[in-house]
Amino acid sequence: MNWQIGAWRIIVGLTFAAVAYAVAGMDWSRVTPSLGFIAMSLGRSWLLALISMAIGAAVAIPLALMRTYGSRLPRATATGAIELVRATPELMVIFWVYFTLPLLTGRGVTAWSAALAALAAIAASALAEIIRGGLLSVPSGQIEAARALGLRRGAIFARIVLPQALRTMLPALIAQLTALFKTTSLVSAIGVADFFRAVSVTNNAVFAPAPLYTLLAAGYFASCWTLTQLVRRFDKNLAV
Amino acid sequence: MDWSVLWQYRQDLASGLAVTLAISIAGIVGATALGVVVGCLATSTSYLLQKLTGSYTALLRNLPLLVKLVFLYYVASLGPLTAAIAALVLHQSAPIADVVASGIRSVAAGQFDAALALGLRRPDIFRRIILPQTLRVIRPPMTTQYASIVKNSAVVSLIGVADLTFQTQEINVQTFRGFEAATAATLLYAALTFLIIGAMSRRAKAG
Repeated sequence: MNWQIGAWRIIVGLTFAAVAYAVAGMDWSRVTPSLGFIAMSLGRSWLLALISMAIGAAVAIPLALMRTYGSRLPRATATGAIELVRATPELMVIFWVYFTLPLLTGRGVTAWSAALAALAAIAASALAEIIRGGLLSVPSGQIEAARALGLRRGAIFARIVLPQALRTMLPALIAQLTALFKTTSLVSAIGVADFFRAVSVTNNAVFAPAPLYTLLAAGYFASCWTLTQLVRRFDKNLAV
Repeated sequence: MDWSVLWQYRQDLASGLAVTLAISIAGIVGATALGVVVGCLATSTSYLLQKLTGSYTALLRNLPLLVKLVFLYYVASLGPLTAAIAALVLHQSAPIADVVASGIRSVAAGQFDAALALGLRRPDIFRRIILPQTLRVIRPPMTTQYASIVKNSAVVSLIGVADLTFQTQEINVQTFRGFEAATAATLLYAALTFLIIGAMSRRAKAG
């Protein structure tokens, strides 16, 4: 077993050396003037993910409540809306919102607000299912017990169901944020200057695909990896 | 709204649907093969194999599909169709490997020891006892993975592969009927997804 640990360390060392050698061997001179612009756009991608996650969560809570506790009609409505978005390719949702919002509002929408609305819809449909799972994970016996003790409906939800549901949901919520962050790369298709678009626009201007797309992969990997590590920590903390 | 535009462009929509179907099937076959191999290796007791498979899934899980696609297309200089299928296969092989690995772990523990005690050999145990049970356990999560491949295949339109999404964009560019085209495409994608779910559950009944 010990030789395998040694072998793994050698593989890791060699991989890092090879990547460092390849990166150092690339011609970065044409890329460096645009680094500030690219870094700012990575921030914009984060902003897109965080804002649409917040809007998505606000929409997902009533959807989840409707689907979990609602009577027939609200439940069918929520289920239909959630499944429709989940069955549609993310890119298609983005195009769809971009084309449909102007028809609904009667005037043009910016690519930025269309992107936010589409990402929020994608997030809401996934979050509603996570929240529903969290709500269902609280045993119904607890709700019955609380009712028997004379607690009101609102108090049962806020003080008994929600705190326990949140604990089980937290890792899935962060995993969803990671997925959403990856999805933000698609809004470049409707012209939002996110990280992906900034890099490809720079490539169109200076043509340096190797360093630029390496930078692109590194930026997305670093962002998503940070979020994944957060999930792991929460998973471990909650397992106890 | 003017739905007649869909009839007018029916041939483009049909060829787009055919491309999406072909890429999806190639992606499903490739991602299953790669994912099963990586997933089986991940359940090995070897430290080295665990680390290697763990890094493989971690690397692929933390990169957007679009990034893999442009990397294969612009940096590795593959053709658009090859890059599209390779990106789909790599992208989905990571979650499929995780599904396979956790499926094997869920049946393996006691069964493996019992079969060893009965005197079966390791390859036989894996092929005759572990694998058939694993396949049954992982069918529902695999259906989800396959549906994801169909959904994710829309992204390949961004490097110019003439799939369903690409054709909808073309219709929009030529007629400004983006809403109608996107609605039609959405319904076609949903139909493809239901086709996969149906095929997988029919196999479940047969198997």
